[in-house]
Amino acid sequence: MQVTRRQFFKFCAGGLGGSSVAMLGFSAGEALAEVRSFKLTRTTEVRNTCPYCSVGCGLIMSSLGDRAKNAKSTIIHIEGDADHPVNRGTLCPKGAGLLDFIYSPNRLKYPEYRAPGSNEWTRISWDDAFSRIARLMKNDRDKNFVAKTADGLTVNRWLTTGFLAASAASNETGYLTNKMLRSLGMIALDNQARV
Amino acid sequence: MNAETRILEPGEIEPPTAQIRFLFLADQDLFRLRAERLRFLAKGHSLGDYLNFLSLLADAQQEALNHLSAPPLPEPNEQALCREHGMPLLSASSMPLNPLWRKGLTMILQQMEEADLPLAARETITSLTQRDKTGLDEMAGRIMREELADVSPAELPFVAAALQVSFVRMASALGECSFGQLEQGGLCPVCGSRPVASIVHSDGLRYLCCSLCFSQWHLVRVKCSSCESTRGITLYALEGSNGAVTAECCDECNSYLKLLYLEKDSQVEAIADDLASLALDLLLEREGRLRAGPNLLFHPGTA
Repeated sequence: MQVTRRQFFKFCAGGLGGSSVAMLGFSAGEALAEVRSFKLTRTTEVRNTCPYCSVGCGLIMSSLGDRAKNAKSTIIHIEGDADHPVNRGTLCPKGAGLLDFIYSPNRLKYPEYRAPGSNEWTRISWDDAFSRIARLMKNDRDKNFVAKTADGLTVNRWLTTGFLAASAASNETGYLTNKMLRSLGMIALDNQARV
Repeated sequence: MNAETRILEPGEIEPPTAQIRFLFLADQDLFRLRAERLRFLAKGHSLGDYLNFLSLLADAQQEALNHLSAPPLPEPNEQALCREHGMPLLSASSMPLNPLWRKGLTMILQQMEEADLPLAARETITSLTQRDKTGLDEMAGRIMREELADVSPAELPFVAAALQVSFVRMASALGECSFGQLEQGGLCPVCGSRPVASIVHSDGLRYLCCSLCFSQWHLVRVKCSSCESTRGITLYALEGSNGAVTAECCDECNSYLKLLYLEKDSQVEAIADDLASLALDLLLEREGRLRAGPNLLFHPGTA
């Protein structure tokens, strides 16, 4: 099969000289000359999931540039994935504005910290953010963890902290989220920014 | 429970959107529409003369389709067998040739004889008219088995045109419900041929268009029709174009197929726009890409 397929459109070295166009007496010279003035543009298409809510609508995203060659690619278009069983190509107003979300000047790209009483946000490193969150979680858990109720029933729960995970997370991420947080005793756990 | 609250009965909620339609058979006026599109594209085009010639050929195909009598069709037991094993019912590569196709060829050649064509084209028509049955059937067999290297570039458009008419006629006589889905999403579920191009309909769904019977069947987007890979799908287009005609390339198997968007130009037509964008093929060949399916109205020449 492969062998014949390669012969479908294998132009001769001279271009269109041996093709149906020339063999039927039509001129092909102009078409060949014209090709030299044309350039190709290149876009890449990928599937993704809308990050907004737990409906999980399918997206097709197009980007300019070649992802394989280390060049920075730019997303130029996002549309609903018509093949996706959840949304069949449709998007809600928030999803339809995803391209603006990507290029929004207000988009949060790194962790920031606002001290109690202050009205200023300061940028901090991811390491600092993670350490701080872990420290505060540990402090709170140590203080408020309930191992047994007053009447001696074992409950092992931690009610004073909640966790918001991501709506576009995969099955595996969802599993890990639950595994980790339930083992800490956390009850308030959600996987989506509410619609 | 207050007066306004009531429980919905089954069937009261609108069902979700219907299933994705899997197959569209070619319309009965497809050749007329194609001829119109070819005439439109020919204006000011560097291959204008050839596109005009093809528009006459498409007119002749329409005429032949209108007058061709009903062809013999596979028996019900054959149909059941094909469905059971997921085989194309009108398999171009294995089915015995339907003698009616030569009637179509005669009609097409008769019409084309009257047209104002270059000498080489007229000579090709004359030589085809004088060819005997066996010779024609052999050539048809090679085309249907996609052995295009052994077919003369001048004769291919005429002979393929007649086969196309015959397959469109057979497919429409059987009707859409006769055909089931194949395991290989890249082959025509009606005749097993390769697609000439894919078309994204205005609802955003992609359909592959058969190079022989012009049936359109559904294949999810961002997927190579040739190796079914979903990684590294790149779209090439000519710079400055409106983006209605692109080529979908696969980095896994290095093949490509044109991808046409009805949303960007509601008049695009698989065969016509594929040939009018031959420049894209020439440029992609320089990039080392291989085309995944033939356009039977054009032979690139035997190297």
